[in-house]
Amino acid sequence: MMRGSICCLVAVPLVLPVLLSAQSIQNATLRRAQHAFDNLEYRQALGAAQASLRERLTGYERARAYELLAFTYSGMDSILKAVDAFKQVVLIEPERELDPNRTSPKALSAFQVALTQILVVRQLRVDSVDFIGGQGNVPIRYTVTQPSRVVTRVTGGPGGSMRIDSTVANGQVNIRWTARLPSGDPVPAGNYNIVVEASVGQNSFSTSQSMRVSHGRVDTLPHLTSLPGYTYLPETEIPPKSWRPMGLAFLYTGVALAGTSALSSGDLGSPSFREGAVIGLGIAAAGFVMTLKKPAPQPARGNILYNQLLREQIARRNAEIAQENVRRRQQVAVRVVPVARAGGGR
Amino acid sequence: MSIRWTVGRLDGWTVTAALLLSHIPTVQLSAQQFSIGPQIAFGDYRETSAQLSYRGGGLGAKASVVWKKFSADVWLSKIRYKPSGGTATNEFDASEINVLVRYYVAGPFSAEVGYVNRKAEPEFEAQSMGAVTAGAQMAHLLGPGVRMRLNGGLMFGSKFSGGGSVSGLGAVRLGLGLTVDALRGRLRVTGDYDFQSLSRETDDGSGALSAPIQQSLGRIGLAIAF
Repeated sequence: MMRGSICCLVAVPLVLPVLLSAQSIQNATLRRAQHAFDNLEYRQALGAAQASLRERLTGYERARAYELLAFTYSGMDSILKAVDAFKQVVLIEPERELDPNRTSPKALSAFQVALTQILVVRQLRVDSVDFIGGQGNVPIRYTVTQPSRVVTRVTGGPGGSMRIDSTVANGQVNIRWTARLPSGDPVPAGNYNIVVEASVGQNSFSTSQSMRVSHGRVDTLPHLTSLPGYTYLPETEIPPKSWRPMGLAFLYTGVALAGTSALSSGDLGSPSFREGAVIGLGIAAAGFVMTLKKPAPQPARGNILYNQLLREQIARRNAEIAQENVRRRQQVAVRVVPVARAGGGR
Repeated sequence: MSIRWTVGRLDGWTVTAALLLSHIPTVQLSAQQFSIGPQIAFGDYRETSAQLSYRGGGLGAKASVVWKKFSADVWLSKIRYKPSGGTATNEFDASEINVLVRYYVAGPFSAEVGYVNRKAEPEFEAQSMGAVTAGAQMAHLLGPGVRMRLNGGLMFGSKFSGGGSVSGLGAVRLGLGLTVDALRGRLRVTGDYDFQSLSRETDDGSGALSAPIQQSLGRIGLAIAF
């Protein structure tokens, strides 16, 4: 009773992945094998699955048949046979992944061992990216399951085939494509394929990913009217009130009257101060009013120089922006978007 | 006779200069600053001794022009002087022309040269005279549109209708002035004080006699600026 419960617990995660993909299976033998596996009748499932492989199957059905064999062998503790079956699955569907949360550890380890025993390039990905032609690149990554010579090429467009990378690699590989022709110009807009070919000895494998390259205009920069954080200062300032106008008025008047007194001839009696006093009083009154009056704004030299520097900085920055915009108008914005997956490798 | 002719010649030059200045079209003066207007004049005149003392008033006019570092002022006035105590009994008219041309030097200082001519009518009641002046002016801006000046100098080559002469440093003049702009500088209130002292000496064959001449002149007026 206890053993039956354990078997049920183990069988549930084994069954789930198969159930999820059993809907499109049309072959009756394979459906019978799936049904037997679902009922934990491993020997019947094994026989039916092997029988189905001798019948005419679609690629998807064939992969499911091998996968059913692999899970059945794992359940029967025949790990080597499970590995062989998983190898067939991966060769048919290189992108096949098992959900670690729904798959038994035995089946997972057999799947991982199978991956290391065959040469496959998996998970080829091209990221969507926007950049200015010549100033960016397209990130490309893939995983190769065995140490091998891997050549990455771009096909399509007027340039034909362009090799963009050649390396000996194992595991995940990250490369970057500048999307430029040998002349340095950005690649023309259009559809391209990234083809990754791996080879070791007599074994080789290749896979591809389509992508669309489109061109656009590079945004230009707006001109500046002010520098952030810097504002113009008032170019005039009102000086503090001063007694200087009144002082000057009295000084001038005093000098004039004293001069009159000093320069007058003694033979002519005492000089007349009436005329000088009238004008002097006017000047003193003007000086008094000017002293009380709010002083006129005076040019603030420091602020004028500061504003001049600020204007020069803005003008210099705008000249740089104008040059940058001229350059940007000659540039091309490149957009790379991956399109539908091209399919498995060979 | 020859002395009177000289005074008259100087008078003619002054009138010519004044006419020229006053007839320059305003269009040509657009880059300059020109003002002209009437004045009320009042003064004190003394001659020879404290007994010959006169006071009086009259009308006048003033024209000013500023061009680059140069500036010029021309005053015309006619004052009726009346005896003010002493032994003088007759009044007389004094027609005077003052011309001052300045060149700005530095700070508040300008150098100035000029000419003064005064003609008495009746001619025997007082001395007609003419002289060339040279001196300096100091000017300050008291506030927006308010300027004052203090000037002084010597008078050279003095000529008198009644004869006589003045030593080199014996003729001096002193001036004080105020200009207040109004109506955005279109109208100006002007006030000027001019003091002249000439240590004149005459010699009728019995030796040099002191016959000084002294005048204090005040002028207040309005001017239209262009």
